[in-house]
Amino acid sequence: MMHEFKINGEMVEVTVARDGQDWLLGEYQARVLTDGRIMVHTTDGRSRIAHSAKVGDVWWVHIDGHIFCIEKTEAGSADGDSEGGMTAPMPGKILEVKVADGQTVEAGELLLVMEAMKMEHRIVAPTDGVVTKVNFSMGDQVQQGDVLVEMGE
Amino acid sequence: MINTVLVANRGEIACRILRACSEAGLNSIAIYAENDAGSLFTELATIAVPLVGDTIGETYLNQQQILTIAAEHGADAIHPGFGFLSERADFAQAVIDAGINWIGPSPHAIEMMGDKMTARMTMKAAGVPVIPGEEIESEDEAGMISAIVEASERVGYPLLLKASSGGGGKGMRKVEDPANLEEAIKGARREAIAAFGDGRVYVERLLTGSKHVEIQVLADTHGRTIHLGERECSVQRRHQKVFEEAPCPVMTDGLRARMGEAAVMAAQAVDYVGAGTVEFLLASNGEFFFLEMNTRIQVEHPVTEMVTGADLVREQLRIAAGEPMSCGNLMMRGHSIEVRLYAEDATNNFLPAIGPLAVFRAPTGPGIRLDTGVREGDMVTPNYDPMLAKLIVWAPSREEALERMRRALDEFVVLGTTTNIRFLRELCDNRDVVSGRTDTTLIERVWPNGWTPTYSDSSLDSALMVAAVSESAGLHRTQAQKAESNDGPISPFQTLNRRYP
Repeated sequence: MMHEFKINGEMVEVTVARDGQDWLLGEYQARVLTDGRIMVHTTDGRSRIAHSAKVGDVWWVHIDGHIFCIEKTEAGSADGDSEGGMTAPMPGKILEVKVADGQTVEAGELLLVMEAMKMEHRIVAPTDGVVTKVNFSMGDQVQQGDVLVEMGE
Repeated sequence: MINTVLVANRGEIACRILRACSEAGLNSIAIYAENDAGSLFTELATIAVPLVGDTIGETYLNQQQILTIAAEHGADAIHPGFGFLSERADFAQAVIDAGINWIGPSPHAIEMMGDKMTARMTMKAAGVPVIPGEEIESEDEAGMISAIVEASERVGYPLLLKASSGGGGKGMRKVEDPANLEEAIKGARREAIAAFGDGRVYVERLLTGSKHVEIQVLADTHGRTIHLGERECSVQRRHQKVFEEAPCPVMTDGLRARMGEAAVMAAQAVDYVGAGTVEFLLASNGEFFFLEMNTRIQVEHPVTEMVTGADLVREQLRIAAGEPMSCGNLMMRGHSIEVRLYAEDATNNFLPAIGPLAVFRAPTGPGIRLDTGVREGDMVTPNYDPMLAKLIVWAPSREEALERMRRALDEFVVLGTTTNIRFLRELCDNRDVVSGRTDTTLIERVWPNGWTPTYSDSSLDSALMVAAVSESAGLHRTQAQKAESNDGPISPFQTLNRRYP
């Protein structure tokens, strides 16, 4: 079965084949245990137990002490979120707005300061660019995921 | 005598205290806000009483409501835990005025130590060494800025601005360049007003490269004030501790005796009663300076319990009941490390994270203790502090304690919410952590541009395969079903009914 995933911003296609109770992918062989955990064998004889859970479209996978967030995407669907907006990491309040529409900013430049969970968070420009729109002003309440500032090239 | 303890707190520390009450044979009362209904701590109390209100101010900080519940349900003692009302002298006084035992020091001691400027001056007078710095008396913004700018010339750079009523890193700013001083003062003041309703800020020299070492003290009402050795808590991010240990790797018997004596002097200077912690900065030349005294049980108290064998919360209950403490002379054995498990994104400046705890499997085995406020199936919300649990290990030596912590963190599985588990795991491999050369700048020094996890291609490939297998096998559907049928395992009585109709 072929699945399309997104991990660390990159699209990956993964195809696993079924062989009885086992799943195969190259040198890896995996089996789903009765409690839902997954045992992964490699050809060198090593085996590890992985945990997985799906929240929304994202598979959270724990293996080797690491956690990976792997988003399931529908095959053929366009990569939707390349708008380049800076979103609120959590619900909170805007304390200061440092930029205005049309302003040119450098990567790392402070755009605005928000307060969430009683701590101040600095929202900075991820890249060089031009601020196309500031969506909130001082004192506004924002929700998690709200686009705070929109930027263009 | 105490019969019924109301725990005016939530989460992990409420669980810790409620369990101690249960072990001591005391009745306990948990209070909870609506958004904490069903939380672990509400199940550990004899009775759980809902608080009315939406905000923290209307619930966990609502002194009147808490006192009313205490009276209605016959509480004869209140344990405040840490945070919330634990260092509020007015609340301690109100509890005492209501004829209820306050499990903590006197309102006077809380007041003296709670205001950091007053504490500095009291400690100076008691002969306890303090960090070079200046108290700022001005309260309006303009006056404060000019006073601090003036003081900064004498204190020197780099310097640290601290909220007088501060704690937990709130209202604190590091300033290395005089050009940034004014903006930093404004920021610190604003955060201090928002968090504590008090914008007073003072200035201290930033002693870089020093260790944060604190001494646990206990004092009872029978004339004993003792110390229980030190904890080192140098490794901090955003001025909040993440990795704590006892003993401190560079401690000597002589230094411990001197720091212990200073801590006992500090406690006696305010007629301290109960459990408290005197925090010091330990410079690389062995000089130490008073930072502050925390007049409550501390987050990292378990490492002291692990190496001394004392049960600090039970001692608090004993002391509040007017009994003598049961601790004998200080004995430290082996090594203990605690890490704080936060719902936060270590790859993005440790920003708090929220989400469901779809999987929460804690490590087990010898020498492992988990103090948790959550369990699988809970939601992590933005309503409260993002600390979920504390993982504590004990082993005969520091090296073995680190080995045990690495193993435990590898076993710890939390899925559905971003946590700092992997960051903590890599911290245990850091050269300076391994050698004990930890200081308060370690995290920013080792990861100046932020932390990103390092993993092998084989781990990544396996993870992708696991996701593909999970999807192909429809594991999300079975998980969803499991979550929907939340009445737990099938009752044995149903089976019995069928067999014997």
